[in-house]
Amino acid sequence: MTTVAETANPAAERNAAPGWTVVVEQELRDLWLGGRGLLLSVAFSLLLSVIAYLVATNSALNFLEHRESVNLVLQVAIAVGGLLTLLAAADAVSGERERGTLESVLLSPVARSQIAVGKVLAALSLWVAAFAITVPYAWFLGRGVGIVSDALVTGVVVGTLLAVFLASLGLIVSLFAGSNRVSLSLSLFVLLALFAPTQLPSSAQQGWAGELLLRVNPLTAGEHYVGKILVSGHAWTQDLSWLASPLAAAVVLAAAAPILGARFMLLRGGVAG
Amino acid sequence: MSRRRIVAVVSALSAAAALAASLAGPAGASRISVSVSRAQISTHLGDRLTFRSTVVNHGQTAARGLIAHLNIVGLESAVYVDPEDWSSHRTIYLDALPAGESTTITWRLQAVSAGDFDVYVAVLPRRAIARPPTTGPAVRVAVADRRTLNSGGIVPLALGVPALLGLLALAVRFRRS
Repeated sequence: MTTVAETANPAAERNAAPGWTVVVEQELRDLWLGGRGLLLSVAFSLLLSVIAYLVATNSALNFLEHRESVNLVLQVAIAVGGLLTLLAAADAVSGERERGTLESVLLSPVARSQIAVGKVLAALSLWVAAFAITVPYAWFLGRGVGIVSDALVTGVVVGTLLAVFLASLGLIVSLFAGSNRVSLSLSLFVLLALFAPTQLPSSAQQGWAGELLLRVNPLTAGEHYVGKILVSGHAWTQDLSWLASPLAAAVVLAAAAPILGARFMLLRGGVAG
Repeated sequence: MSRRRIVAVVSALSAAAALAASLAGPAGASRISVSVSRAQISTHLGDRLTFRSTVVNHGQTAARGLIAHLNIVGLESAVYVDPEDWSSHRTIYLDALPAGESTTITWRLQAVSAGDFDVYVAVLPRRAIARPPTTGPAVRVAVADRRTLNSGGIVPLALGVPALLGLLALAVRFRRS
């Protein structure tokens, strides 16, 4: 049975008005005034506090290990910020379906592609908050070794590219997932799989195949770039090619999310439609 | 001395030199010397430092398969030294060094720990077994400490940020209810 809500609304699709702003506003209100975003931020700040305390009170750290600890804080911020963004986006459509609120969203006079854009942007607000929370920790740990500005700029660039990639990925998974549980668990599995190569022994990461694996994977490539800047002290342009896959992944999935959203944001989930 | 006797002496000396060269092997470490451009370096924690080492082949034949390796030793037992932290490029595989020629290597390090250290370069022939390496004179590196981390300030930060966010979350909840 096809309902009115399940058919695309051509008039709304053609509407050039920025309907996504309305969606963003509503989603941000739900996320932040509803308390979920703030609770996640408190948990995130506790995690960074524990790491920063352990680093700052370790008198055995040498200069390089000190730089590595700033790198660690930033990697954790990017990883956990990306995780929060991914999970928020993975809940965006499948969660609305299960809560029975998707129908009213689809009936609103906003194109579905713009609903997708609004939901991705709202999920990205978690990354923005995570990064803002990271700033004082990065400043505290990085000022003695003179890498605060490097840490913050690489964090913004790499973290934003990865957050856009993960938010778009989460939304796409959410569009096709049969249930919210499937959407969240599949998104989490993909994230863990993308992080898995970071646990390979360094010998396995060398050679053309190992380097190719690290370069193709947006998460490992972004992490590698951050490490080269903060730990090895490389210039910004020296390892710029490592940003190719995070940039490509962010652009491709950010473009795909509204296109797929316009076609597949339906009341019923599942790949069979 | 007759011409025939001179020829005989020269032939004997040449044979002895050839025998000595064959005993020393194709890349005998004894024919190699290593010198460094600086005897001591004073620097600060986190600063980068460079020095050059020159490897000279004093032998009669080209020295092949030489490997130059940089090492760092802490002179105080309390300071842990991981040479890999000081420099990630500590092994250089040298090209064939013709007889009488030399090659210069520039070593770049970063002082990652405070204290006194000796840095030295050892040159080893790749194919020789159980032959001692040729080492150059050690460069004495004195690294002055500087404070890079104020651990006293971490508690207000580590407690303050979560507390601030927690208060904000409570305020939002009270306002909604």
